Amino acid sequence: MEKIVKEFRDIHPSMRKNEVWRNVDFAALLTDDLALPQGERQTAEYHCNIPNLDAYRVVVENGFCHEQLRQDQTGVITASLREICGERAEFVRQYFGQCTPVPNPYLQMNNDHYTDGVFIYVPDGVRVERPIQLQSVINAGHGLFLQVRNLVVVGRGSHVTLVHCDDSYDNAPAFANNVTEVHVGDNAYVEYYKMQNLNNQTGLLNHTYAVMGTGASLRSVAVTLNGGHIRNHTEIRMMGEHCDVQAHGLFLNDQEQEVDNYIYVDHAFPNCHSRELFKGILDDSAHGTFNGHVLVRDGAMKTEAYQSNKNILLTDKAVIYSKPFLEIYNDDVKCSHGSTTGQLDEQALFYIRSRGVSERTAQTMLLYAFCDEVLQQIAFEPLRETLVDLVKKRLHGELTLCSECALHCSTPCNGPEANFYIDPSKL
Amino acid sequence: MVIFLQHKNNKRTIRHLLHKMALLSIRNLHASIGEREILKGVNLEINVGEVHSIMGPNGNGKSTLAGVIAGNSKYTVTEGEVIYKGKNILDMPVDVRACEGIFLGFQYPVEIPGVSITNFMRTAVNEQRKYRGLDPLSGSEFLKLMEEKKKVVEMTTKLANRSVNEGFSGGEKKKNEIFQMAMLDPTLAILDETDSGLDIDALRIVATGVNKLRRPDNATVVITHYQRLLDYIVPDFVHVLYEGRIVKTGPKELAVELEEKGYEWIKEELESGK
Repeated sequence: MEKIVKEFRDIHPSMRKNEVWRNVDFAALLTDDLALPQGERQTAEYHCNIPNLDAYRVVVENGFCHEQLRQDQTGVITASLREICGERAEFVRQYFGQCTPVPNPYLQMNNDHYTDGVFIYVPDGVRVERPIQLQSVINAGHGLFLQVRNLVVVGRGSHVTLVHCDDSYDNAPAFANNVTEVHVGDNAYVEYYKMQNLNNQTGLLNHTYAVMGTGASLRSVAVTLNGGHIRNHTEIRMMGEHCDVQAHGLFLNDQEQEVDNYIYVDHAFPNCHSRELFKGILDDSAHGTFNGHVLVRDGAMKTEAYQSNKNILLTDKAVIYSKPFLEIYNDDVKCSHGSTTGQLDEQALFYIRSRGVSERTAQTMLLYAFCDEVLQQIAFEPLRETLVDLVKKRLHGELTLCSECALHCSTPCNGPEANFYIDPSKL
Repeated sequence: MVIFLQHKNNKRTIRHLLHKMALLSIRNLHASIGEREILKGVNLEINVGEVHSIMGPNGNGKSTLAGVIAGNSKYTVTEGEVIYKGKNILDMPVDVRACEGIFLGFQYPVEIPGVSITNFMRTAVNEQRKYRGLDPLSGSEFLKLMEEKKKVVEMTTKLANRSVNEGFSGGEKKKNEIFQMAMLDPTLAILDETDSGLDIDALRIVATGVNKLRRPDNATVVITHYQRLLDYIVPDFVHVLYEGRIVKTGPKELAVELEEKGYEWIKEELESGK
């Protein structure tokens, strides 16, 4: 086993004593098959499945970004982080590592060993019309252990939409310990969408650390469609008044998959708002976790913070650990948190069926309706339409064909990796 | 004749068929929720072209009766039969009963966030068409039908584009029920307290809608507390459901009498009868 992989694996036992990492165990995915990336490149073009998506696209392939540095007339820069660190070290150093807290051991591993990633810079006062798509592709044909580092800097008063996709293109095992830092400048507005579509042998520890200036807004939606074990570890710190955070998530997992959403929101200043909505449907023996922590500090008066987690379990074996958590140190706040886990609403099913709709269609309608609340939070229309379509197909069991599958795994159509089918009859 | 043979073991049915085939025929119906028996032997016959009103104090089984006919699995039928168009429907799934032409207007319509009324009705109309061996309506045909039926209850386009019942006022929810009834064109409509939660204007709109949908080949059952609704929807028969049984049946004037005198006199009549 690679030394770094072993080191990473050996962190686990001590971390699991920590409440934040309690349910996290990637050990099964950290095997001898994982090698460190050597800059493997495939000749294949990575096209995007989102129709009508006119975006600046930056690809990270197997842990390395091979893009040329690009700077447009407005001053927006997209580049390989490794390259720009070499060329403009002083410039990058102002931002690198500034969003992250005292590092946990996983973050420290990335700090020490990251290979490459994407650097995105939006100067002050720029409204970026086209979204920027960050596509992280795993496609080496053999096992990989990746540590990618992305750094996003959005200047004062700027607007930008980011679409961050994590895709497996092959069927080989992989593990990625990726970190993305996002600086949201004063009065800036950032939409940050994550789409995750990895094969069942792949684990992803996806750290996102965002720091927000006064009056900044961040709207984030993470949609997890497939993956062996995905943890979205998100920490958002509001460092000024009048910030607005909307962080949402949707996960649809089946088989033996594990999905884990940890989100920490730090209200340190008055008059900030945050809203979280995480929803999941788990089938077969899938396991999920929602661990949300909202900290409202002394002095963060007039805070509004809402946290909600709702889950549907389709089988007796599917499991969800849900822990919404508010920690409040002043009394001038409006906060709520809640969690529900269950099956489909019997009375709603009866209502729909009483109009002549078959049981199966009624169940699919309700499952889709359940997801819709999160999907509607995606303000960027081409992406929303694609995800609405993907979720519908997944619920209808129509994604089993390789040609239509969102996974680019090139395994036979009857292989379990291509099996996107959630069977409503199991309800 | 075929129908006749199917029922040759049931002398009452034969007698009935020879007389006139009722659209709905409920005999000695007993139903319970959990251990609690709610319906204790209901008998009721409904023919096409008729409007029946079922009245009675709260908690005596009116909604249970509606739910059992529509097929709500919350209720367990312990005895008796419900014959609709010559078939015992008690083993029929809810959606098949709907495709056969039974419609329940809910007392408390369920909110379904994320499903628009348009999508919901398009699915329902086309599934019912499929059941009857008809091709699904195209998008434009469906929209045309919807425009036409929206007028029945003066429904706005804005409302039709919203999620089913989500955030609707009481009046909007009931309008939506009658709109769905218009879209699905049932043979037997059971309206469970469609007047509750309605102001005078909404009541008039809803009642006018129901009247517009009346035809010689369908039937309506109106469950209500108040005679007020029956000023608009004039029933042919008024039944009083009390303690799980229909204890009195009369013409429309019975509703007026109930409004004036309440239910006490019926209770007294029953007790003296015993």
